Amino acid sequence: MLIKVVCLLALIFSLPSFSHPVIYKEGTVVSSSNMKSYSDNQLMYSWSNRWASGLNHWRFTKDESNTDLAFLKTNYLLYRYNGEFSQGNIYVHGGFGVADSEIEKRQTNEAYMTGVEMDWETRTLYTSWKYYYFTSPKVTDISMTQARIGFSPYEAGFDQLQSWFMVQVMYMPDVEKEAIITPLLRFFYKNVLWEIGSSTRAEWMLNIMVHY
Amino acid sequence: MKKIIMLSLCLLSPTLYAKEITVKVNGMVCSMCAQGIQKKFSKISEVKDIKVDLDTKVVSIVTKDDKDLKDSKIKEIITEAGYNVATIERK
Repeated sequence: MLIKVVCLLALIFSLPSFSHPVIYKEGTVVSSSNMKSYSDNQLMYSWSNRWASGLNHWRFTKDESNTDLAFLKTNYLLYRYNGEFSQGNIYVHGGFGVADSEIEKRQTNEAYMTGVEMDWETRTLYTSWKYYYFTSPKVTDISMTQARIGFSPYEAGFDQLQSWFMVQVMYMPDVEKEAIITPLLRFFYKNVLWEIGSSTRAEWMLNIMVHY
Repeated sequence: MKKIIMLSLCLLSPTLYAKEITVKVNGMVCSMCAQGIQKKFSKISEVKDIKVDLDTKVVSIVTKDDKDLKDSKIKEIITEAGYNVATIERK
């Protein structure tokens, strides 16, 4: 019951993903997000405050078999709300590349991805939600919904360590039948962000992101 | 003659010293994301010092002696960093 409530709350209030898909003009983001059932690695360059392009690799693991997807990806900031005490964002994503799957029999083919992502945050509250869809003819179709809700116990200054308590709910019906619920700790200091968590099934999560 | 020299010094003096510019910024809630503001202003040749205060939502810019920074340039940099300028004040 508790799990269902947490899951429902996170999906309702949800929002963020790992972090902002588009950062300041001419900024570069390197990120890696890892769990047992998936990994997401990105190198993105923001060529304006609305557009970012780069490389994105995903690996989904089902029954010890991997599906790898590599994309040339573009993120677009569709809408941003800059309030005095909060910020909200809506992003859309698109990419094309190649997929390689060893599930059933080994197959490789062209691949496409699309997605939408929303977040809203203050200095002590954070919510986000995102949906991604990956497809490769005759190889794979994977949809992924991720939601997060979190809070920080204090307002950190510009040059201080910021700490967050969060819960992530990820649902990938093509990879895992049940949603993966992961309480996690987020920290960031200056231009480096890292997260560590463990799902309710005792699967570790380790994420890191650096802005240059 | 002394009066002319004194008057000239008074007229010229504002351009001989550094200026402190206070910019109120909306949307500045995340220190990691706001690093871009500091990074961008630090690269501007006219800027001597830059401080970001998340509590007051203020970016404080000190220019080098005899240098100034136009409001349009400040707005451009803040916008490119992903934020909105609320007010700009100069001392």
